[in-house]
Amino acid sequence: MLEYITRRTLVLIPMLLIITFLIYAGLELTPGDAVSFMVSPDVLANISPERLEALRESLGLNDPFVIRYFKWLGGVLRGDFGYSLTSGVPISKIVIDRLPATIELSVAALLISTVLGSILGTLSALKKGSMLDHMLTVAGMIGVSIPQFFFGLVAILIFALKLGWLPSGGRMMPGYDSFLDRLPHLVLPAFVLGLTMTAGVMRYARASMLDALNKEFIKTARSKGIPEWRVNFIHGFRVALTPVIVLVGFRLPMLIGGSVIIEQIFQWPGIGKEFVAAVRGQNLPLVMMIALFFVLAVLIASFLVDFFTALLDPRVKLD
Amino acid sequence: MNEEIIITVNNLKTYFYTNQRCNKAVDGVSFKLKRGKTLCMVGESGCGKSVTATSIMRLLPTLARIEEGEIIYHSEEGDIRIDQLAKNGKKMRSLRGSEIAMIFQDPMTALNPVYTVGFQIIESLRYHTKMTKRARRKKAIELLRGMGIPLPEQRVDEFLHQYSGGMRQRAMIAMGMSCNPKVLIADEPTTALDVTIQAQIFDLMNQLKETYKTAIMMITHDMGVVAELADDVVVMYMGNIVESGTVEEVFKTPAHPYTKALLKSIPVLGCGKNQELEPIRGNTPDPYNRPEGCQFNPRCDYCDEKCFEMPNDFKVTGTHHAKCWHYRKVLENE
Repeated sequence: MLEYITRRTLVLIPMLLIITFLIYAGLELTPGDAVSFMVSPDVLANISPERLEALRESLGLNDPFVIRYFKWLGGVLRGDFGYSLTSGVPISKIVIDRLPATIELSVAALLISTVLGSILGTLSALKKGSMLDHMLTVAGMIGVSIPQFFFGLVAILIFALKLGWLPSGGRMMPGYDSFLDRLPHLVLPAFVLGLTMTAGVMRYARASMLDALNKEFIKTARSKGIPEWRVNFIHGFRVALTPVIVLVGFRLPMLIGGSVIIEQIFQWPGIGKEFVAAVRGQNLPLVMMIALFFVLAVLIASFLVDFFTALLDPRVKLD
Repeated sequence: MNEEIIITVNNLKTYFYTNQRCNKAVDGVSFKLKRGKTLCMVGESGCGKSVTATSIMRLLPTLARIEEGEIIYHSEEGDIRIDQLAKNGKKMRSLRGSEIAMIFQDPMTALNPVYTVGFQIIESLRYHTKMTKRARRKKAIELLRGMGIPLPEQRVDEFLHQYSGGMRQRAMIAMGMSCNPKVLIADEPTTALDVTIQAQIFDLMNQLKETYKTAIMMITHDMGVVAELADDVVVMYMGNIVESGTVEEVFKTPAHPYTKALLKSIPVLGCGKNQELEPIRGNTPDPYNRPEGCQFNPRCDYCDEKCFEMPNDFKVTGTHHAKCWHYRKVLENE
């Protein structure tokens, strides 16, 4: 187990290096730099090229790209993530401030989609060909095809603006910051994010469950004269669960990436929203930090998937 | 009712409905299963052997239906009409596993890979006996030991993938025998195993038959298995029983051209490479486009106009029956 974790972590290092380098290079290719965003257009028209150049020099933007990459990398290795080019705030502080909001939203959405998706998918499989199955199939199709931003806007329109049941955005009201006070703010984004994912999980759980129920051992279980619920759940569902766990696990990083859009729509003060602002402002150190964070999320998720698969399936061993 | 008989199947018809078409997989099958005896059911793939067995267990897929006929289980409390019970109802469940158990062909797929072998054996005990948890576990270990599995105390907690092929099938039999059933239905239990393991499994089954007077219904297409194990033989072709009788009768004096052809097509050990095998000519007919009359007539050497009518079940001797107009000619080898 320990050896496995060590090996996984060691593999992580070259992967992180390659990925961060690629992102750095990609951002280098985009037009403009942080200075063009920091300085307002009317100032930019009157400013002398020398001063602009001095600003660039002081921010270290004039070094060759490879040097800058290694400078950045050196900083990260020393635990210095740099400062936001646009606001001057230490990047570690931004991440620490924003991370809880993103995690809160992601976990809520993941819970909603996993629980709802597995239950509905299993029901759908057990009642294959029934009215319920057909209805869920249609709902699933809609859920898979509807774009998140559109669904989000419609949800705001109905539940926040028309019905006024829930706030349209933000994470909390000033002064009210207990979890219960924040809950109404979480409901809409979490459900929009969760429900669009539920559709996929549901379809997958249905297919997986049907597959499990068609296995020979289901017939064997039935031949023992045990009750139907035991056949379906103890034997069928347990086996159908493993592929669903894999899917959900790999959704975890997608969820953080996916929440970029949702956070933007719901003005959710998370990493995703910060990411959009950072890319717009050519705020390289911050973009890199968040990208690093996404990559880590993917790698951690794949580790979790392996771990849970090994836990659920005795044939799989972590080594 | 005859004391000796445990299951009577009368004119059983099980049809499959797929794509608006009807496949008469089992079309009027009748036989009797005797206590403490082995009945072997032989026939080529798709002839309805397994469907007959799953009909008795009421484990047919949803597309299949028992259309006609009766399956009677002669229990100690009186006769039970299995065909009239609710498919997964309480009564049927109480018979399955405890009175009638089934062993499947491939233990690798027929056992659940994510539970220990012990768990799966204990599961039947849990619903059919009033044993305590500790007693159930002890019984599972005993069963595994009885099946010749080494270190059963340890093996009981192991998973299927940790067992070898032969051990898996033995574990499967242990599961089937856990509640001392009166009837054991074995659907090609040794097809996936090599010959030495086959012999061990058959020894085990013979022991069980003698110790517990279990009636065994064995489905196979291996004639060697039949010769070794069977007391009675039933030969099936295209959903019908074409010949039935004791193993001597059927093997020594086959009265149906299909049985005869089947026996001729088996290579005999020791006859050398150059022995002439006579495969049955032609192919099994399409079940949706059956020949008229006797189902075997397009492939039969004895076929004449009479064969386009369905033959009756002719009595050759008291126990030997054949469904062929020309059974006398077949018997006399003309």
